[in-house]
Amino acid sequence: MSADTRSNRRAFLQSVGLVGAALALEGWTGRTRPLSAWPAIGPDDPEIPNEQVAKVMKERFGDRPIQRGHVTLDMPAVAEDGRFVPVAIEADLPMSADEYVKGVYLIVDHNPDPLVMVLHFTATIGPVAVETRIKMRRTCWIRAICETSNGALWADYAKVETSLNGCG
Amino acid sequence: MEIGKGKIVLPATITKGEVIRVQAVVQHPMDTGFFRDANAEIIPPYFINAVTVTYGDVEVASFEWTSGVSRDPMIVFQLKAEREAPLTFTYRDNRGATYQTTVPVAFTTG
Repeated sequence: MSADTRSNRRAFLQSVGLVGAALALEGWTGRTRPLSAWPAIGPDDPEIPNEQVAKVMKERFGDRPIQRGHVTLDMPAVAEDGRFVPVAIEADLPMSADEYVKGVYLIVDHNPDPLVMVLHFTATIGPVAVETRIKMRRTCWIRAICETSNGALWADYAKVETSLNGCG
Repeated sequence: MEIGKGKIVLPATITKGEVIRVQAVVQHPMDTGFFRDANAEIIPPYFINAVTVTYGDVEVASFEWTSGVSRDPMIVFQLKAEREAPLTFTYRDNRGATYQTTVPVAFTTG
């Protein structure tokens, strides 16, 4: 098999995969978008670790799927002080009068109160570029979830190691 | 510490219609209720749990906070500077006290 044939085969398989992913997403949301706008679905999203997190997710998001993409959660891999852990959340989602990010949720899986903060936005807020500082009890996953005005949920996840308990 | 004393930092120059970075900080202990003091007494929970941001007369954002937010909370987000109006942060804590910080959004002339 020549290199040319192999690359053709790869391109074909990639396009089939993208179409499949797009169809699956379209089925969930009932909306169509250019193929390039859809991110890959993360098969390796962190599992829901406890009932508290499950309750928060159920109360806030119901049964809506949470897709990985459009959101970037930037945190240190190792937090030296669990009392002050820097968080940066960015999203490339639209912020227009018709469609905007109405909610930013920050969940720390193993904190006593996992839903550390919720930011409710309107269309007057600019593109999501949020920075803050939070406390962490111990090493765990952090979830940053953006909810758009039409109800779509986009997320990114980060695992942060910490040794000094910042919550008590 | 002067509880409730805050500061809002905006860019030095702002033009109409620009997306600007807003940084707000406020002094507050944000006690979780899980720590003890030197006499082994529990330090009761004491934290800001609600924040509203108004731009002129319009509420443009509101935040739900918990004691999981660090001491002396800091928050940054972006705002569409569409008009000249005061930007006001109102913080409420779990003891019912409210604190306000205001800064004018003013466009640079010339």
